[in-house]
Amino acid sequence: MSLLELKKVKKIYQQGKIEVPALRGVDLIVEQGEFSTIFGPSGSGKTTLLNMIGCLDTPTEGEIRLNGNKISDLSRKALAMTRRFNIGFVFQSYNLIPVLTAYENVEFAIRLIDHTSELQIKEKVLKILAEVGLKGLENRRPNELSGGESQRVAIARALVKEPKLVLADEPTANLDSKNAADVVKIMVKMNKELGTTFIFSTHDPMVMEYAHRYINLKDGMISADERRG
Amino acid sequence: MFSFKLGLKNLTRQKRRNVITIMVIAFAFFGYLFMDSVMGGMEELSFSNIKNYDTGNIQVAYPEYWEDREKLPLENLIYLNQDIVDSIKNMDGVLGVSPELRFKANLNNGIDEVAVLGLGISPEQYNEVFATQNYIIEGSMFTPGESKAVIGVKLAELMDLKINDYITLLVRTKEDTFNTIDVEIAGLLNTPNPIINNGVVFVPLDIAQQALNVGDGVSLLALKTASGDEDKIAKVLMDSFNNKNLDLKAYSWRKSAESIIALSTAKKGGAATILSVVLLIGMIGIINNVILSALERTAEIGMMKALGMREWEIVFVFMVEATGIGILGGLVGCLIGFAGVGLMAKYGVDFSYMGLDMSEYGIPILDKIYGTWNYPAFSFLFILGVVVALLSSIVPAYWAAHKDPVKAIYHR
Repeated sequence: MSLLELKKVKKIYQQGKIEVPALRGVDLIVEQGEFSTIFGPSGSGKTTLLNMIGCLDTPTEGEIRLNGNKISDLSRKALAMTRRFNIGFVFQSYNLIPVLTAYENVEFAIRLIDHTSELQIKEKVLKILAEVGLKGLENRRPNELSGGESQRVAIARALVKEPKLVLADEPTANLDSKNAADVVKIMVKMNKELGTTFIFSTHDPMVMEYAHRYINLKDGMISADERRG
Repeated sequence: MFSFKLGLKNLTRQKRRNVITIMVIAFAFFGYLFMDSVMGGMEELSFSNIKNYDTGNIQVAYPEYWEDREKLPLENLIYLNQDIVDSIKNMDGVLGVSPELRFKANLNNGIDEVAVLGLGISPEQYNEVFATQNYIIEGSMFTPGESKAVIGVKLAELMDLKINDYITLLVRTKEDTFNTIDVEIAGLLNTPNPIINNGVVFVPLDIAQQALNVGDGVSLLALKTASGDEDKIAKVLMDSFNNKNLDLKAYSWRKSAESIIALSTAKKGGAATILSVVLLIGMIGIINNVILSALERTAEIGMMKALGMREWEIVFVFMVEATGIGILGGLVGCLIGFAGVGLMAKYGVDFSYMGLDMSEYGIPILDKIYGTWNYPAFSFLFILGVVVALLSSIVPAYWAAHKDPVKAIYHR
């Protein structure tokens, strides 16, 4: 069974009386453990597609299945629960909570799903922060971290709950090339070590180099879908 | 409860705005507590002035007289029987009994005339019940049988009178014929009760009785009792009158001061309005704070939703923050209020220095007003403030939590 399955997914936005199609019938199957990139020009529908897959939005037409469960017509509450237990997000602008430390930002995500002991939670959070190379920076607040470090916290936050799927929308767009490469390397490492499926959108050819699968989106449709390695 | 922790940590964000909201709530709380203290002091003092200078704690009269007492009738008077007076005086809790003959009079200084309340008293007994004699600032009290009077300084000023001047009181006798009482001013009073200072002429009881042709009749007996025991003693008196087949009735000072008490009740209504305004200020502050915070943290709300937080969990974070502001505002307000009420209770305020004559507003006060401590008001206001802060945050917090996650995440 595939992790993710999209069948003829369409998304049409209504702007006044005008209908703007963002996705025009996307068919896609993603297997567990894949490391895929979605690329394409601005306005091609990359973010819309990630939002559909991430249960942040629902399609106008078509069907989306995650782990065999149809998620395309779930209620808001059920979508929230699906996101909580199955999906991790990494955003372009990190979206860390400024009053929380790196440790607390990661702890926040796991507290939503894990009600085990304080000690176990602490172990998990410290382990994942060490995995992303932030050992020793646990008590720093976002304003005391560089962009690369902040994005690593965001990756740790997405991974700490051990989701089946991590979605990253242009995760390196705000980073310099060295930090961008470091962040993608961490994602690759976590993909290999934990078997987490990653789908990320990007414009950056250097970042794309690390992907195993390239999904090219053009005018709301998949124009190419290649696998490498 | 990580959401609780996050809500508390959020209190440290937008410090300036939070401090302003906290201070607005605090000053609104302070304003209410201060007003409540002043109004409490005003009420306490006006009641004390009524008891100490006007009515005594209990008044004994015939019910028919009591009904018409505002008209100062010379009907239905009590004809003094020393046994009755002695039995009242010997009753437990009764500290003094003063017979009074109240009558209408026109004070004439030879040029002008003004309507006054004539009060025939027996100085020694009057002194047992009222503190008026302590406020004779010039001259002295008369003795029984002397053709002398004591009047308030305000009345003296109005009629251009001074000690040893002669005045004429034009009165109507019981038979409704005109008579006069010619008396020399023996003393000038300046009591804390403006009603006494402005319009009462004290004359010896026997002189008044003779001029009004009422024999030994008196309008009522004013009693001094231990404060707070009025109702209990009034009931004992009533039982005693019933046992003796007397039609007399005992009235607590509250009955005599119904209009002042009604004014005080109206003031409490005013206090409730002030309280509503205070809470409204708090509500607006909190709602404004939550809305601005939600707008500033839209992307963060989007992230929370992406993490899978349910709407009520996000609402809870904002509610904790808003309640925290309410608690801090309430605490600071109660602290400032505590200091303000403390100063007011210790040093008081003299409204006459501000050119205010409280008697013009029907409040029998000339003295300094001291604040009173109303401890339940502190806890009541604090709890109410926190509850209002919590409740007023729900709608804007829900509005924030209900945002579309996609729009929230990509909000700029």
